Amino acid sequence: MQVIILSWEYPPRVVGKLADYVRELAVRLVKNKIRVYVVTYHDFLTGLHEEPEGVRTCRITNPVKTHIGVLTWVLTLNQEAERVTANIYYDADKQINLIDAHDWHFIPAAVTLKKAFNLPFIYSIDSLEDHRSHGANSPFNMSIKSIEWLGMYEAKKILVKSEWMRDEAHRIYKVPIQKIKVVKPKSQTWMKDVLEAYMKTGGGSVSR
Amino acid sequence: MSRRLSVMMLTWEFPPRIVGGISPHVYHLSKSLAKNGVKVYVVTCDFPGAPGHEILDGVEVFRIDSYKNPSSNFATWVYLMNINMQNEAAALVNRLNGEVDIFHAHDWLVANAGVGLKHVFRKPLLVTVHSTEVGRRNGIHSDYQRMIHETESWLTYEAWKVICCSDYMVSHVKWAFGLPEDKIRMIPNGVNAEEIGKAKKTDLSRFRRKFASPEEKIVLFVGRLVYEKGPHVLINAIPKVLQKVNAKFVIVGNGYMKEPLSSIARSKGLAHKVMFTGFVDDETLRSLQACADVSVVPSLYEPFGIVAIEAMAARSPVVVSDIGGLSEIVEHDKTGVKVYVNNPDSLAWGIVEVLLNEGYANRIKDNAYKRVQEKYNWDKIAQQTRDVYASVLDSYAKSFWAET
Repeated sequence: MQVIILSWEYPPRVVGKLADYVRELAVRLVKNKIRVYVVTYHDFLTGLHEEPEGVRTCRITNPVKTHIGVLTWVLTLNQEAERVTANIYYDADKQINLIDAHDWHFIPAAVTLKKAFNLPFIYSIDSLEDHRSHGANSPFNMSIKSIEWLGMYEAKKILVKSEWMRDEAHRIYKVPIQKIKVVKPKSQTWMKDVLEAYMKTGGGSVSR
Repeated sequence: MSRRLSVMMLTWEFPPRIVGGISPHVYHLSKSLAKNGVKVYVVTCDFPGAPGHEILDGVEVFRIDSYKNPSSNFATWVYLMNINMQNEAAALVNRLNGEVDIFHAHDWLVANAGVGLKHVFRKPLLVTVHSTEVGRRNGIHSDYQRMIHETESWLTYEAWKVICCSDYMVSHVKWAFGLPEDKIRMIPNGVNAEEIGKAKKTDLSRFRRKFASPEEKIVLFVGRLVYEKGPHVLINAIPKVLQKVNAKFVIVGNGYMKEPLSSIARSKGLAHKVMFTGFVDDETLRSLQACADVSVVPSLYEPFGIVAIEAMAARSPVVVSDIGGLSEIVEHDKTGVKVYVNNPDSLAWGIVEVLLNEGYANRIKDNAYKRVQEKYNWDKIAQQTRDVYASVLDSYAKSFWAET
């Protein structure tokens, strides 16, 4: 099974706790015989690398340097995510099983790649705009929420890290509860649950 | 290639959605390409009452759900709209089994969608640069403007070839984005001379009386009433013209300078000689152009100057300022009169030259009409565009992308 993970943070670039979570996830997946590519952002460390634990990373930078906020910054970064993801896809003879997009940043890319290649994606939620912005409804917040909505609507499966978040995603975005799966990071069944969701979504198997 | 060459146009405006010049440009270009055997898909923003999918003059048009929630500003809306445009275009190309040979983007307004589609489907991207942020704003003065400028730069960087509509724009784009010259192609903008010429054939004397008395010559200005179009230069030229010839100045268009301009005209005691019509429909405009004794384009900045070409197609003699695209369109004393930029005396001289010499006026307007038919003809423009497509596909065929 081959998976492309999209995350706007990944060590050495750490913004919040998502970076370490995604790294832990990628390393554990590799140990479980899954080929993992991580597409992530860095100011200048660009290009494809195989890291010591076997995770293949591809870091991208923003083609448009001047921005008026995080939203427009993210929106011009997505095309670079699409470019390198497409390159990985073609170089792998199109044998990619699924994309796992973490939080809203690369949802536009995930949706385009789904529409173009019939490649399913999982939307892994770490946090939601409604909580980050304390319910604020300015056009800026609404734009991010509309991208989160798009992700929920287009994803084949939504992974959350707690029952609370499952209920919140259901409450805010009216996502059918069956579409959401809880995978608890520190629990015994975490990796097993993630793998199960990957198999169901990507249709691949673990090559041993 | 066994099947027809096929191109997907990306544009934020397409009739009936008309904001500026890109909409009629893409419409005529697409229609003429289709007539020349190219399969054209247009992906554009939706518009109330216009169908989501239709075949219009041989062109297959898809109108996407443009982002309709409130946005913080125009550029943010553009980027958000591009998410939808790119997704719907990707789904469409997928349904067509990838049978799109070229993506052709028009201005930065579709930059994201164009660049994304290029890489996802590994097909060449072309861009037509209609205008630039640095040109529109006469420099870059804020982060917001710089963001748009860099988006334009990114688009031209990603494009296989960059099309500009005048030699002036070629040199401007080369300077603004640091592009190598061999990446840029000049293909002029076009007009539909037959359609515009139609108005001339009907009797317009009654129509004319709504704007001027029979003994008054009509001097026509068409354009947005903004600084770079130079309407103030015309207002300041009026007294000099009236010393020599009895004329009425008809000013068509709207803009933030409308009030100041009409108050200047009033304070100079010229109110009865100037008429501000505001925005008029196409038919009225064509009739006005047909009965104008002279059309003036006193712009201070002009990437192309379509309004001069439309006047020439309507067989109205033109007086233009010698700048930008206008310098290339008009050949002085042959197809029109060129005057110094931002110089009311020079403009008045040019207007009087045309109004007092009927033989001269007739000669330049006949020459101008012929020139428009030869050079700014959509059929010819479509063939030139097709040639650019062919040469791009030629080099594409030798790249490793062609094998994926």
